[in-house]
Amino acid sequence: MIAYAIRRLLISIPVLIVSSFLVFAMIANSGDPLEALRVTNPPTPPETIALEAKRLYLDLPWYERYWVWMNNLWHGEFGPSVNVRENINTEVWTRLGVTLRLVLVAMLLALILAIVAGVTAAVKQYSKTDYTVTFFGFLFLATPTFWLAILLKEAGITLNQIDGDPESRMFYTYGDRSVFLDDPTWWNKFTDVAGHMILPTVSLALITFASWSRFQRSSMLEVLGSDYIRLARAKGLRWRKVLTKHALRTALIPLTTVTAIDFAGLIGGAVITETIFGWAGMGQYLIDSVTTRDVYALMAWLLVAGAIVVLFNLIADLLYGVLDPRIRHD
Amino acid sequence: MTKQLETVNKADTVAEFTVKERSQLRIIVTRFLRHRLAVASLITFLLLIVVAYGGAALWKYAYTDITPDNSQPPSLAHPFGTDGIGHDNLAQVLRGLQQSIKIALMVALIATVIGTTWGATAGYFGRRVDNLLMRLADVVIILPAIAVAAALASVGQGSWFTIALIIGVLASASVSRVIRGVVLSLREQDFIEAARALGASDFRIIARHLVPNTMGPLIVNATILVAVGILAETALSFLGFGVREPDVSLGLLINQAEGAVRTRPWLFYSPGVFIILIALSINFIGDGLRDAFDPRQTRVRQ
Amino acid sequence: MHMHLRRRGVIGLAVLTSITLALTACAGSGGKDEGPESSIGFADCGTNPNACNNGKIKQGGTITYALGKDVKAWNTLSSAGNTLEYSHALFGVVPRVHVYYPDLSVQVNKDMMESVEITAKEPMTVTYKIRKEAVWNDGTPISADDFIYAWKTQNGKDCKDCKAANTSGFTQLASVTGSDGGKTVTAVFTQAFPDWQQLFSPIYPAHIAAQHGTLGESFLWLEQNVPTYTGGPYKIEKYEPNFALTLVPNEKYYGTKPTMQKVIYRIITKDSELIPAMRNREINAFSPIPTPDLVAQAKQIEDAHWYLGKNLSWEHFDFNLKNPFLADKALRLAMFTAIDRKAIIDKTVGQYAPETKPFGNHNFVPQMKAYKDHVTPTGQGSGDLEKAKKILTDAGYKIEGGKLITPKGETVPTLRMRYTTGNQLRKDSCELFASMVKNLGIQIEIVQTDNLGGTLSSGDFDVMIFAWVNSPLRIGGAKQLWRSDSSSNYGKWVNTESDKLLDEAARTVGDDAKAFDLINKANELMVADAYVLPLFQREMFLVVNKQYTNIRPNPSNHGPVYNVGTWGLLEAAN
Repeated sequence: MIAYAIRRLLISIPVLIVSSFLVFAMIANSGDPLEALRVTNPPTPPETIALEAKRLYLDLPWYERYWVWMNNLWHGEFGPSVNVRENINTEVWTRLGVTLRLVLVAMLLALILAIVAGVTAAVKQYSKTDYTVTFFGFLFLATPTFWLAILLKEAGITLNQIDGDPESRMFYTYGDRSVFLDDPTWWNKFTDVAGHMILPTVSLALITFASWSRFQRSSMLEVLGSDYIRLARAKGLRWRKVLTKHALRTALIPLTTVTAIDFAGLIGGAVITETIFGWAGMGQYLIDSVTTRDVYALMAWLLVAGAIVVLFNLIADLLYGVLDPRIRHD
Repeated sequence: MTKQLETVNKADTVAEFTVKERSQLRIIVTRFLRHRLAVASLITFLLLIVVAYGGAALWKYAYTDITPDNSQPPSLAHPFGTDGIGHDNLAQVLRGLQQSIKIALMVALIATVIGTTWGATAGYFGRRVDNLLMRLADVVIILPAIAVAAALASVGQGSWFTIALIIGVLASASVSRVIRGVVLSLREQDFIEAARALGASDFRIIARHLVPNTMGPLIVNATILVAVGILAETALSFLGFGVREPDVSLGLLINQAEGAVRTRPWLFYSPGVFIILIALSINFIGDGLRDAFDPRQTRVRQ
Repeated sequence: MHMHLRRRGVIGLAVLTSITLALTACAGSGGKDEGPESSIGFADCGTNPNACNNGKIKQGGTITYALGKDVKAWNTLSSAGNTLEYSHALFGVVPRVHVYYPDLSVQVNKDMMESVEITAKEPMTVTYKIRKEAVWNDGTPISADDFIYAWKTQNGKDCKDCKAANTSGFTQLASVTGSDGGKTVTAVFTQAFPDWQQLFSPIYPAHIAAQHGTLGESFLWLEQNVPTYTGGPYKIEKYEPNFALTLVPNEKYYGTKPTMQKVIYRIITKDSELIPAMRNREINAFSPIPTPDLVAQAKQIEDAHWYLGKNLSWEHFDFNLKNPFLADKALRLAMFTAIDRKAIIDKTVGQYAPETKPFGNHNFVPQMKAYKDHVTPTGQGSGDLEKAKKILTDAGYKIEGGKLITPKGETVPTLRMRYTTGNQLRKDSCELFASMVKNLGIQIEIVQTDNLGGTLSSGDFDVMIFAWVNSPLRIGGAKQLWRSDSSSNYGKWVNTESDKLLDEAARTVGDDAKAFDLINKANELMVADAYVLPLFQREMFLVVNKQYTNIRPNPSNHGPVYNVGTWGLLEAAN
């Protein structure tokens, strides 16, 4: 299995190189990172524009720029950002941290919801509970993230004002934390961060949980319909024990892999959630670097997000093998 | 975005079907018709298409018309109200609906055609070809839709077809994985061996035997792709990378109304409700189809 | 000197004017019907712009002000730092010689400067006297060295690797010398430079720059490093990228000490998030480009003052004269005559700013004395269809079957009209433009652009809508925008008569009335040629929680932060 993992990881290197090359080619040829300088009035001196172009290697053809980038990367540098102040290396890791905080909590929430909802619906198939859970699952599955997020935000503000005290609030609508005026206690810090997390994580979790619970339901149904569960019941094992010890355990296997894959996809940015709630995470980094044609920043994003997708796809496969002895990688 | 394109992966579930033959079409249809919610959804979806196109043709305002009523709440004259410059919001939503449906159907078509060819070729030939094509799928899956859409915006001027093409091609990579899985398991079966022994060409085997036998997962997948297409398109448009002004799409309408939730709520809610209606009906249709194609589900039911 | 370049924004224009030092404040607009809209705290901002919203100050307090962009560079003199939001963030930190006040007067920063005078006309010489007390926060005096550093890094000669945002003015300086222990600075110009007040605003500490290598290296260092230095009322306590910039009082400040404990610039990049954040008390003040929904919701915030007035930017329709059809004046004049500006206003900004009037000058705004409406008397922008048709028929055009046929028998083709992606106001204006000229048999295709500057300079448009932002300094700017060979004259209007007038204005130092008159004469020539149709002035919008005082709207690009050092917490009335 280790050999398999190593082989997969090695194969992923050319995959990352090819996709980075494609994205680089597209972005480098579709816009002008110095546009902001060219529209100022009075005009930016041409010498300044030339210096800036040189700093970003814009005096080279795009494929040579790609080569320069590869070279820089070899030396551990992500290359110059359009923003002079910005060090892409630190920027991308900071943002990864922000996104991780958002995504991890949301995933956990979604996972719990999905398992509870999925299992309940499956066990009580065609009951009222099943229909209710199924209905909400489908509803959230069909709701655009941005629409739900904006709604939740409005709901949060309304709830904040219920107690009549304009200064108190439980839900924050913008950013991942507050600016503290004095040295906050750890408790203040904690409640503040938690208050900022509620709305974004809930909106992300609701959207994610919907598909997972559907998934969990069908895999649970499949297990319940299988012969060995029937056998277990026939042998007179208690239903509750059959459910938790045998059925649930097996039925969780497919969800594990889906979770791993979805998680990886979200690291690239819960783009919409981050945009609406003003979190400076990976998703915003993607949007910003694309709109400003900050191609080296975009490359850094791609490498980090891409590597995580590759890694978690591998983990998903391996997990599948570990959890389900029928599958073997060789 | 990634998230919503990612939903395609969930379609993996549908890959685990057993083979069906065409003669079973009738059985499948019967089974589908038994799923009342799916049938109702199919009707809803068809109605939505009729409303989007027929309604827009009949409605007294075109989406480009500028009426003298600015920012009016819903009334008899303007059932969905009007926006700041006096566009009738119903006309705008209907236009958005047309665009979104058009894009979503095109996404499903493109992703299915490319993804099936891609996956079937990989699965059938195996080895080197398979390896190469699947690594290519990995490459495409990593490509961020936002970056691709932004890069191609200047080329396609944000036409609906460009958007559909981008989402469709990116989604086809996931489809190809699903189809490849199905084909891999089919390849080893006797009737393929038999065809090969009879001297059928590779193309013939793929086209006549493999593809028809993947019809079940293919159709369910395509249905789900319509929903994925709708959500991906609206999300892209919401972020400003999709359908571009002065054209209209449901996502774009919500983007423009983001600040108006409280002041002019009709502008925010009406396009959203339509997105949910389409995606919801598509998902139920997909669910019905899945049940219809999947005998195991039926067994559980009995 | 700073540009907005928000996606939805305006191309900024930093233009300058010579106003003699004995400045008489060009008082606000005056006319009753011109009064801006406001709530009570800002009620007298129309008549008393420099002193409205003031009250008894209580020591202490904090204010959180929403900033539209993360600060990506700390040297606002460099190309990377030349952004409106960055200069606002640094207003209380890096000192300036001149400040633009809300009444559009340009005033000397009296905390730092003793006097600033033009001491000779031939060659033009300006003498700056710095107050003895003025120091950087490490105790080093603010001195001629800082002025010399500013000059050398921005004159394009002494520093070849300084990425200066703008060299105009500095290139005209022959020398900058210090005397009187560095407290007197003498600047000698090679040629008259009427907009000289834009220079040395701001200045950076030369002694700190000197610790960081050559001119070019230190200029870059200033760009990349969060200032620990300050010469203003505040210093930076903390900067958290993409999040907030926190200022605390500079205990070494030599002027009136600020009363606030902290000023926080909270970075909020999406305007639609401002209202929820304000309602939720996550911010206390913001000043975005208004939209109908922003204004409507701001008015509902009970504990906040709001002000909606006019700023210095103005929207306009431009023709590209390189288009052979649009090269014909009759066609242009007829199209502009068919445009009903009042109707456009009613459909757009008029819905939240009902006082908006059609705008009639390409160089001055109604808040300035020099403003004259040149456009309205010509009938352009009146929407008079009959007159427009008559202009066309008189010139030999025919309207047949909804198509316009030129005297030569060609059909006028569909014209491409461009606007900036995501700018709802401009999109709406384009649609209205199209529906109005359709009456003349002219078809318009509306195409957005992501790259306004590129589209403009490559001339990839037939009709364009965008905005210029005036500055209180306004003489060189006219030449910069409208001279035949200027790079900013995107539609390529050529007129030697106008060029002469503009050149002469640009040489006029110390006689504003004359300079303004020359510019207005040139403007009349251009208006008669139906080249650019001004639509309306854009609005400035400021919303501030009621507990703050001394924060007030400022239509110039120095914005509400121009007096950040005097913002305070209002003593609650008992």
